[in-house]
Amino acid sequence: MSARAVARLGGVLFGALVFVAALAIWEAWARSAESFFLPPASEVALRAWDVWPSAGFLSAVGASLKRLAAGYAIGAITAVSVGLAMGSSPRVRRMLGPTTEFLRALPVIAVVPIAIVLVGAGDAMRIGVIAFGVFFPVLIATVDGVRAVPLEIRDSAALFHVRGVERSVRVYLPAALPTIFAGLRTSLSIGLVLVVISEIIGEGDGLGVYIRSQQTLFNVPEMYAAILFLGLLGYALNRLFLVVERRALTWHYGAVGDPVR
Amino acid sequence: MVLDDVTFDVTDGELLAIVGPSGCGKTTLLRILCGLLPPSEGTVLLEGRPIVRPPREVALVFQDYSRSLFPWLDVLRNVMFPLGRLGLTRAEQAARGEAALSEVGLNGVGRAYPWQLSGGMQQRVAIARALVARPEVIFLDEPFASVDALTRADLQDVLLGVYAHVGDRRVSIVHVTHDVDEAVYLADRVLVLTPSPGKVAASIEVGLARPRTQAATRSSAAFLAVRNAIHDAIARQQAQRGEVR
Amino acid sequence: MNVAGWLFVLAVLVLAEIAVRLFDLADSVAAPSATLGAFVDGMSSGTLSDELGRTLGSYVQGFALAVAVGVPLGIAIGSSRTIEDATAVVIEFLRPIPAVALIPLAILVFGLGTPMLRFVIAYAAVWPILVHTMYGVRGVDRMLYDVAATSGVRGASRIVRVTVPAALPSIATGIRVSAAIALVVCVTAEFFVGTAGVGAYMQAQQAAYRLPQLYAAAALAGLLGVAIDATLRSGERHALFWVGEEQARQR
Repeated sequence: MSARAVARLGGVLFGALVFVAALAIWEAWARSAESFFLPPASEVALRAWDVWPSAGFLSAVGASLKRLAAGYAIGAITAVSVGLAMGSSPRVRRMLGPTTEFLRALPVIAVVPIAIVLVGAGDAMRIGVIAFGVFFPVLIATVDGVRAVPLEIRDSAALFHVRGVERSVRVYLPAALPTIFAGLRTSLSIGLVLVVISEIIGEGDGLGVYIRSQQTLFNVPEMYAAILFLGLLGYALNRLFLVVERRALTWHYGAVGDPVR
Repeated sequence: MVLDDVTFDVTDGELLAIVGPSGCGKTTLLRILCGLLPPSEGTVLLEGRPIVRPPREVALVFQDYSRSLFPWLDVLRNVMFPLGRLGLTRAEQAARGEAALSEVGLNGVGRAYPWQLSGGMQQRVAIARALVARPEVIFLDEPFASVDALTRADLQDVLLGVYAHVGDRRVSIVHVTHDVDEAVYLADRVLVLTPSPGKVAASIEVGLARPRTQAATRSSAAFLAVRNAIHDAIARQQAQRGEVR
Repeated sequence: MNVAGWLFVLAVLVLAEIAVRLFDLADSVAAPSATLGAFVDGMSSGTLSDELGRTLGSYVQGFALAVAVGVPLGIAIGSSRTIEDATAVVIEFLRPIPAVALIPLAILVFGLGTPMLRFVIAYAAVWPILVHTMYGVRGVDRMLYDVAATSGVRGASRIVRVTVPAALPSIATGIRVSAAIALVVCVTAEFFVGTAGVGAYMQAQQAAYRLPQLYAAAALAGLLGVAIDATLRSGERHALFWVGEEQARQR
């Protein structure tokens, strides 16, 4: 193994060691403090071991993921479409400018009560909220991506008489894809958070509902276990997305090299 | 191995030029001489003492002025930057800064920012910054390679002016360049470095009278003689290594 | 002045107003005119403006905490490979945990008041600051460190005079991103807790079915977000006056 690889491995092990040490401190502190709100790591781990594979929990996770998929798809597809239009036309950009600036800065939670009043506290509200939250980061990324398309490519499109929608789809979209993917990845994390938030409110099933019910029952270890699962889920989704991104953008990485994450 | 056996002296008040093609380790050598890089073998002695980190008596002018000047400081503050540790008052520091700027022919640009100046002016600022703490040795790493030919001639004369002015303080200058003509024009002595691994191939006295001028000095017979001697030394090196010109 | 943009906004609002009146939608959607009335009313009478004050209080406290922790930690991690290695796993573990998921737990631990909000906001806002600071410090041009070395500037002095200014563009971006996240988390937490702040006000208005007031609060939240972003961008332009020029030159 090269010297650099050994050094890197040493670094990773060091980090893992620090992590284990932190867990040990947590364990010791929790045991001595015997606080209701700080269960020992071992207890959380045991509870997680029980809860995570259980049918109820898994079906809750499944329900959440389904909503996430639906909201994400709707939000992302509309965002890319609008983004392509805005990116390629300065006039459209100017017209939609103040509106997007405002809606982008609006905290998503503000949409929740409005949606509840409009469509009730069920799945329609949840998917709508997720779509709203996913929409803006993807929109911004798409607009930025299209605007950054090099002049030479635009000129080529013009010379080949490719215009309008065809130009957006066949030229701008692929050219802007790396930037769009970055926005899509960020939105994924946002979407996951919104699933949970929208489920904590209202009826039905899902990870958010699970967390809320554990809260009302004061089941602190279960809450920790669910939150940890959420973190893990977010991490896993992010990794999965990177795999997809790499597949879709092999041409880009070939030209530019693997990005630093 | 980048550098093989490089052994030489620099005398007080000497302007030494180091010439060599790209890749012969000139920049590495300079970094070692400045104390930025420890040599794997050998020592650098400043007045008989080995150096371990960049000594206070030494200053360096980088080739890429646009990256070496701090963009968030105006010109005067850039020049004043090395004065922090000398225990001077703000007013004294500013005065020294202005003095250094006039030495390189930049008066009244103290309030401007580096990116507002032309390349030649930025490099003068870098030289002024190297002067301001009154170093005993100034190293220059191909400082004029990134400017156009006319500006280069200008800057060469600025450097000669500086050298003349600080001459009474016995300041030594080590000037690394790939331009043989420039080396001969500026220096008292020229060191020729071989391509990697770098070795001292020749040390050639220049012996031209000062003050030197672009027009007169460069067309003199003596200038051409030294210049040719250097080119010969380089050619001999290449022949020894079996290279085809 | 973006005439087209504002005309578009006006057109949408007018159409909405007409639609609400024509189709009698006042039960599901608040008319823009009613919203405006409720907004003016709420701000002048103090009901809405008081809540705004409370929100700003918790927000600033939580955000300041995030900056105070995130920037020094980011500088430390960015400057030292050892520290980076040590903290890497812990950070990777904590970072994906969404702050809003911690709200129910935080309520149990800290109660319903400002300490809970401070914690949740700081937890959410610290990550972008940390990451951007770290990347900014790591990305400092090594040549500037050579300049510092040959100028006799080392250690803490070097961090203050070279590292931080050079990393400042990245740090500023991190702060701006964090500011937006902090606002979202703040209002969300208030919404859940329901005791104080704009979020709580929204929740109450929704429960009482007072739609114009609800919409007015939502509009206020949006305006707050816009104002915070605009302020930070303007501050950035002033503090980082050299950035655009330098990049333009390098291009």
